[in-house]
Amino acid sequence: MTSTPLLNIEGLRTYFYSRSKQAFIRSVDNVSLAIARGETLGVVGESGSGKSVTALSVMGLITAAPGVISGRIEFTSGGVARNLLENLDRYVQLTEEHGRIMGVAKDAAGWRKNAEHLLGRVRGKEIGMIFQNPKAALNPFTTVGKQIAEVVQLHTSHKGVGEARERAIHWLERVKIDSPRLRYDNHPFGLSGGMCQRAMIAMALSSEPSLLIADEPTTGLDATIQSKIVDLLAELKQDIGITTMLISHDISVIKRLSDRVAVMYGGTVVENGPAAEILAGDAASRHPYTAALLASIPNETHVREKTPLLAIEGEVLDTINTPAGCRFYARCNRVTDKIRQQCERCEPDLREIEPGHRVRCWLYFD
Amino acid sequence: MKKYSQKPGEISEFSDLPFWKKADGVDLAYVGYGLLIVTLVVASYLLGMFKLLPHDPEEISLELLMAPAGTPGYLLGTDFMGRDILTRLILGIQAYFLPGLLAIAIALLFGTLLGVLAGYRGGWVDTAITYFTNLVDSFPRMVLILLVVAAFKPDIYYIMLVVGITNVPVVASLIKGKIQFLRQKSFIEAAIALGLPTKTIIWKHILWHNCKALLIIQATIGMGEAILMETSLSYLGFGVQEPTPSWGNMVQAGSNYFMQGKFWPSTAPALAILFTILGFHLLGDGLNNILEGKRNK
Amino acid sequence: MKLASYRPIALVLARELLITGLLLFGVSLVVFTILYLAPGDPFSLLLEGQMPTEEARAGIREAMGVPKAWYAQYLSWLGHMLRGDFGTSVRTGLPVLAETLRVGFNTLVLTLGSMLVTLLIAVPIALYAAVRGTNWLSWPLTMLAYLVSALPVFWLGYIVLYVFMHKFGLFPLAFGFASSQKLSWLYFLLPVLVLGVGSGTISEVVRYLREEMGRVMEEDYIRTARAKGASVWRHAFKEGFLIPVTEIIAAKIPFILGGAVIVEQVFNWPGMGRMAWQAAQDRDFPVIMGIAILAAVFVRCGTLLQRVVYVAVNPRASKE
Repeated sequence: MTSTPLLNIEGLRTYFYSRSKQAFIRSVDNVSLAIARGETLGVVGESGSGKSVTALSVMGLITAAPGVISGRIEFTSGGVARNLLENLDRYVQLTEEHGRIMGVAKDAAGWRKNAEHLLGRVRGKEIGMIFQNPKAALNPFTTVGKQIAEVVQLHTSHKGVGEARERAIHWLERVKIDSPRLRYDNHPFGLSGGMCQRAMIAMALSSEPSLLIADEPTTGLDATIQSKIVDLLAELKQDIGITTMLISHDISVIKRLSDRVAVMYGGTVVENGPAAEILAGDAASRHPYTAALLASIPNETHVREKTPLLAIEGEVLDTINTPAGCRFYARCNRVTDKIRQQCERCEPDLREIEPGHRVRCWLYFD
Repeated sequence: MKKYSQKPGEISEFSDLPFWKKADGVDLAYVGYGLLIVTLVVASYLLGMFKLLPHDPEEISLELLMAPAGTPGYLLGTDFMGRDILTRLILGIQAYFLPGLLAIAIALLFGTLLGVLAGYRGGWVDTAITYFTNLVDSFPRMVLILLVVAAFKPDIYYIMLVVGITNVPVVASLIKGKIQFLRQKSFIEAAIALGLPTKTIIWKHILWHNCKALLIIQATIGMGEAILMETSLSYLGFGVQEPTPSWGNMVQAGSNYFMQGKFWPSTAPALAILFTILGFHLLGDGLNNILEGKRNK
Repeated sequence: MKLASYRPIALVLARELLITGLLLFGVSLVVFTILYLAPGDPFSLLLEGQMPTEEARAGIREAMGVPKAWYAQYLSWLGHMLRGDFGTSVRTGLPVLAETLRVGFNTLVLTLGSMLVTLLIAVPIALYAAVRGTNWLSWPLTMLAYLVSALPVFWLGYIVLYVFMHKFGLFPLAFGFASSQKLSWLYFLLPVLVLGVGSGTISEVVRYLREEMGRVMEEDYIRTARAKGASVWRHAFKEGFLIPVTEIIAAKIPFILGGAVIVEQVFNWPGMGRMAWQAAQDRDFPVIMGIAILAAVFVRCGTLLQRVVYVAVNPRASKE
C-alpha cells in the first residue's frame, strides 16, 4: 500500500465472559483489517462472526465484560496515526495456555479512564457510526432534528443554536428526507424505519467525519426501503467520497458498495482483498468459506435452471469452543489429504496470494 | 481488577453448574443472611411458644435494674424493671409472627386472585380491579390503621388483616404484569390452542411454573413490612400492650430512660428490628436476583 | 416548546383529575363504611359534633331528624363535606377542616423536606451503582442504604434527640423552639433529616433507580449517544432518571406519611400524623376522617404530578 491506511486494526481480541457457561465467548479473535482513505471496506460474514463487535470495539462501545482485551487500533487523524488502545495493555493480564487465552484479569476502571481519553477525540467527530434497527437507535424522547443539531454543535464550528439547526436541516435534505423542516420537529416514533435510518445517516455525517462505520445499515428494514438506503449510501459515497467500513451479512449490499471486502468467520478474518476479485472471481482463488458463502446465494442461473442452492454443511462455529486448527475445518469441503493434518492442528496465517489479496487457508501454502 | 477464567478443554452446551455457582456471590450472601434470620425468628418463635425461656418475662428483680449486657444469667442485660431483655426479645416475636403470616396469606391469596382475574379476563374486570388497587393505594397505610384503631379498638390480628389488604394491590399488579407478559409467549398460546382447560393453564403453566418465585419473594418482603407495622404500632401504643413484650413497646418503654444515658434497653430491641427487617429485605432481593435472573444477562 | 405539545398534558390532567375525583369518592365511602360498622355508632356523634349519652343521642337524633338509613347518613355527611363542613372535633370543638389544613401544611413541609433528604442520599448511590455495577464502593454504599432503611425510625429519632440535647445542651421546648434561640432551626431540621433517612424509602429508591437507569444504559439510543460523543447522562436523563424518580416518589408518599406519624410523635411536630394519633386515642372520629381524606388528597396529588411529568417528558404517552 502506498500511504498509511486511515484505520488499521491489528490482532484485535474482544471476548465476553459467559457466567452460565463459565467460559469466554471469543467474539473477535485476532482480527486484522485496514481501510485506506477514500475506500469502502465491506465486512461480510454470518451472524455471530464478530463483524459488529469489531466495529463496536473500534468505537469503544463494548459494555459487556471483559470486552476488548488486546490489539492495536490505529487511526490516522491530521496526518498522525495513533493507536486508540495505546498504553492500555497494562490494565489487562492474560493467562495463556497453548497459545489460547484461558484467563483475563482486567482493571475495567483504569482501562475505561484511559480509553475514554483517546476515544473522546475521535468518537462522533472523526468516526461517525450508524446502526441497525434505527428506530431504537434514535433517542425516543427527543426530536430527530435536535439529535442531529447536537452533533453539529458538539463537533463542528457551527455552535449557535440557529446555525446548528440550519446545518441539521441541510443534512436532512442531503439524505433525501421530504420536507426536512417539518421532520426536524418529529420524534423518532413518528417516522418510518427508513426515515429513521436516513436521519441516523444524516446525524453520523453531520460532524463531517473522516470515517463512517455502517453497522448493518439495512437490517430490520423492509426490502424496498433497504434498496433505497443502499442507493442513498451509494450516492453519498460518490458525492462525499467518505471512507466507509460497511458491515453486512447481505452480500448484495456489500457487492454494490464495497471497493474491498473482508470475510469474517468465527471471530476472525479469513479473506481480505479487492471486492472484484473476491466476489466475482473464480472460486479456485478464494477461501473455501467465501466460495461456499457465495454459492449459497441464489442468482439468476439458479432461478432459471432450477438448480438447487448449495447450503454450507454443518453449523455456524460457536465461538466458545474455538478449535485449535482452522476454524472452518469442520465444515470445509475442500480439505485434501495432503493438508488435512495441518488443518486440524494449526490455524493458518492470513497469507497474501495476490497483491492486496490475503487468504487464511492451508490450500494456499506451498 | 476483575478476573475471568475458564477451564481448558471443551465447554458443554448448557452448563450443569449448580445454581450457587451461577448466581452472583453478593446475592448468595444476601440469601444466606436472610435464611439465617428466618431460622432464628422461627426458632425463637418456637422457643417462646413452648415457654423454653431463660427467665420469666415478667419477673421483676429490683436489685438488677438496667443491668448491662453480659451480666451473669442475663445475657443481654435487664430493662428498667429488671426483666430479662433476651427473654422479652424472644417472646416479642410472638407479637408479629402469626399476625404477620396472616397478613402475607391475605396479600398473596387475594393479590393472586385479583391479578389473575385482571390479567386473564381484562376488560371491565381489569378496570374494576385497577380502581380497587388505586383506592387502596390512596390511603397511607398508617392512617387507615389509625382509623380502624379508632373505630374498633382491634387486636393485632385485625390490624394485620388491614396490612394484608393494603398489600393486595402490589401482588395483584405483579401477577397481572406477569400474566400479560406470559400470554404473549408462545407456550401459553400453544396451550390455549391445544385446548387445555383455562384452569390448568392458570394453575400449572402460569402460577406454578412462572409465579412461584415472585410469590415467595413477595412473602419475604411482606414479612418485613408486617414486622415494621407491628413494631411501629406497638411503639405508638396501639398494638401489643405492656407487660406483654413486643419489640416496638420495648423500644418505647426503654426510650424513657434515654435521656439518662441508658441506651441499651431501648437499643437492643431496635437492633433486633433492624437486623430482622434487613434480613427479610435482603432475602427478597437476593431471591429476586437469583430466581428471576435479574443479574444474568 | 410549541403550544401543540401542551395539549396532551392538558388531556392527561383532565383525565387524571376525573380519576382522582372518583377515587376520593371511593375513599369517602371506605371511611364511612369503617365508621358505620364501628361499635358505639360514631356517626350520630359525627353529625352532631358532641358526645351525648345513649338516650340523649337517640333523642337528639329523632329531634334533629338525623336520618337512620346508612345511605341517607352517608349522603348527608358527604353533602356537608362537599360544602366544606367536615364537622367539629369532639375533643377540642374546633372545626375539623381548618384544623386539618393547618396541621396538614406542617406535614407537607416535613414530607417534602424528607423526600429531598432521601433523594439526596439515594440518587448518587443509585446512579453510581447503575453505571459501575457492584464494586468496592457501590456495594458498601448500597448496603448502607439498606441498613438505614431497616432502622426503626422511632429509635433513630430518640438517638438524634439525645445527641441534640447532649451535644448542644439544648432542650426542645416546643415545636420549632429550643432553649437556645440560635439553634432552633436545628430542631426544626432534625425531624426532616430523621424522616428522610429513616422512612425506609432510601433502599427502595436506590433499588428502583439503579434498575431503571441500568436498563436504560443498555438501550440502543444510549449507545448512539456514546457513538456520537454526546453526554450519556443527558440522553438517559428523561427515561433513566426523571420518570423513575417521580414514579417511586409518588408510590412512596403513603409510606412516608406513615413514617411522619411516628416522627411527629417523637419530635412533637404539630402535624397531621400527630393529630391522627391523638384522634385515634380519643376516638375523635371527625378529626381522623378529615385526616384520612386529606392524606388521600396528598397521595393523589403525588400521582397526578407523576402522570403529568410522564406525559410532558414522553412524547409517546399521549398516543397510548
